[in-house]
Formats: sequence, structure tokens, C-alpha cells
Amino acid sequence: MKKKMNKSKSKISIYPNRRCHLNKKGAEQILAVYWFLILILIAGGIFAMVYVFYHGSYDVRDVEANIMINKLADCLSEGGYLREEFFNITNETFLLNKNNFLEMCHLNFNVEEKWEDEEQYYVEINIYNFGEINKPIFEISEGNKNWEGFCELQDDKEYEKLVKCVRKRFYSLDEEKNQYLIEVLSIIRKTEKNVK
Amino acid sequence: MLMKKRGVLLVENIIFIVLNIVFLTILILFLFKQGSGAVVLEQSYAKNIALLIDSAKPIMEIHLNMEQAIKVAKKNNVEPDEIIKIRDNEVIVKLSEKGGYSYSFFNNVDATAYPKDEFYVFIINEKENE
Repeated sequence: MKKKMNKSKSKISIYPNRRCHLNKKGAEQILAVYWFLILILIAGGIFAMVYVFYHGSYDVRDVEANIMINKLADCLSEGGYLREEFFNITNETFLLNKNNFLEMCHLNFNVEEKWEDEEQYYVEINIYNFGEINKPIFEISEGNKNWEGFCELQDDKEYEKLVKCVRKRFYSLDEEKNQYLIEVLSIIRKTEKNVK
Repeated sequence: MLMKKRGVLLVENIIFIVLNIVFLTILILFLFKQGSGAVVLEQSYAKNIALLIDSAKPIMEIHLNMEQAIKVAKKNNVEPDEIIKIRDNEVIVKLSEKGGYSYSFFNNVDATAYPKDEFYVFIINEKENE
């Protein structure tokens, strides 16, 4: 009887161990398959992300619009004073006009062939007497005015990439120390080359 | 018996580690290749140069380090003096025989570019007709 008990005990003690050993090896193999599946998934994800990142376009329009504003500011004002060649202090008139604006500010709005029919830039300058910012004493604009309307839509996610609008203000003086507020709006489209 | 079992385990582990290393190496090589590809560099350099010219003023000389671009261009059989062309107010960067990327600048200046060692020199002058 004791012998029988021993035999049955040994059977019980052997089988679970053996089963356990087999299960562990099988589980390891299954886990290895899953491990490589996970690696493939991660690799796929990284490839996709890298592809999207490097095949997209760099959006430099914001920088471009800021450079344009700096250029216009340099064109209108030097050392904090309105440039004499643009502002006649005796008549209090501005000598800038639509015909000479681009030439005097050294701007060229020609773009690549693909956009030949449609100007990609728009600039607007408003000059106010200090303290009277409701009505500008001088205003001038150049480029494609259609883009101005898109600036308000920039808050909308769907239209935020259509154009880039940058608006900046600065102050300047004339020779008699009269103060002026100058507001410059710069808009760059070039969507096809900056957004994908 | 025990020795044999341990040996099998070691081989399995080594294969597993080697495969992982191979996987990671391929991934890193892919990332580096994508980052230094001709298409990516062409766009990046063209826009950079256009913005440089936009913010430049007449009688300026700009030296731009283009070591990476020159290396890629040489690999793709493009001569260093053919990498950058400035036509009217458009910068064209070419780093492969079939490629090329252009971007326009708004600064109305006369810009010329030529290679000098691993640099490219940009000369900004006023336009003659002004």
C-alpha cells in the first residue's frame, strides 16, 4: 500500500513539473513571435513618422513675413526718425506712392513660374498720428489684397495654413519730434511650398 | 544533460540579441539616411538661402557652411559650382542629377553665389538698374 502511495506521489510530482517545463518553452516561443510582431509594429510606426516628417515641407512663411516687416521698418524709419526722402515735413505729406513703393523699399514680388498669375505677397502700411489711431494719416498697400481676408480665418484650424499674416507696430518721430505710430501688415501665401 | 540545456538557452539568447541589434541598426541607418537625403537638404538649403538673402543688405558677403550639401552632391555626381543657382529672385539648389528645389526671395538685390572649399559665398549688391 505504501509502495502504491509512493508510486502515485511520484507520478503526481513528475507530471506537473514536466508539463510546466513544456509550457514554459512553448510560451517562450510564442512570446518571441509576439516580441518580433511588436518590433515590426514599432518599426512600421517609426518609418511612417519619419516619412511624414521628412517628406513634409518646412514652413518658413512666419520668418519670411517677419523679415519683410523688418525690411519695411528699415525702409520707412531710420534711427527712430521717419526717412526724409519719404516724408516731407514742410507739407506734412508722404512721398511714397503705389508707383514707387516697391522700388524705394527694394522689394520684388515676382515669384516662381507656378504662381505667375497670382501674387503671393501682400503688404499694408498705415501711419497714424500718435494718439489718433482711428484714422491713418497715410496708408499704402501692395500685392494681392485677396489674402487679407484669410488673416481673420487663421484662428480656424482648417484655414490656419492658407496664408501667414504678421502684423507689427512701431513708433517713429519726424524732425520736429512729432510722434507717429506705424502699423505694418505682411502676408505670405506660398502654401504649396510650405505646407503638405 | 544540464550542460546541454544551458547551451541551447545561450544560443537562443544570442540569436535574439543579435536580431535585436540588427533591427536597431537598420532603424538608425534609416533615420540617418532620411535626415541627410538630397530631397530634404535641397529644400532646407533653398529656403535658408532665400531667407538669408531676404535679410541681407547691399554690399554684404555671406559665407555659408555647406559641407553636408557638397558631400551629398559629390555622391550624386553634381559639381560643387552647380549646387546653387540664383536666377532673378529665385534660389535653386540641386544636390542630385534629377532633383532641384527653388524658392523665391522678395529682397530686390543682385545676389551671386560661388563655392569656396566647404563654404558657399554669397555676394549681395544693389541692382544695377536702380
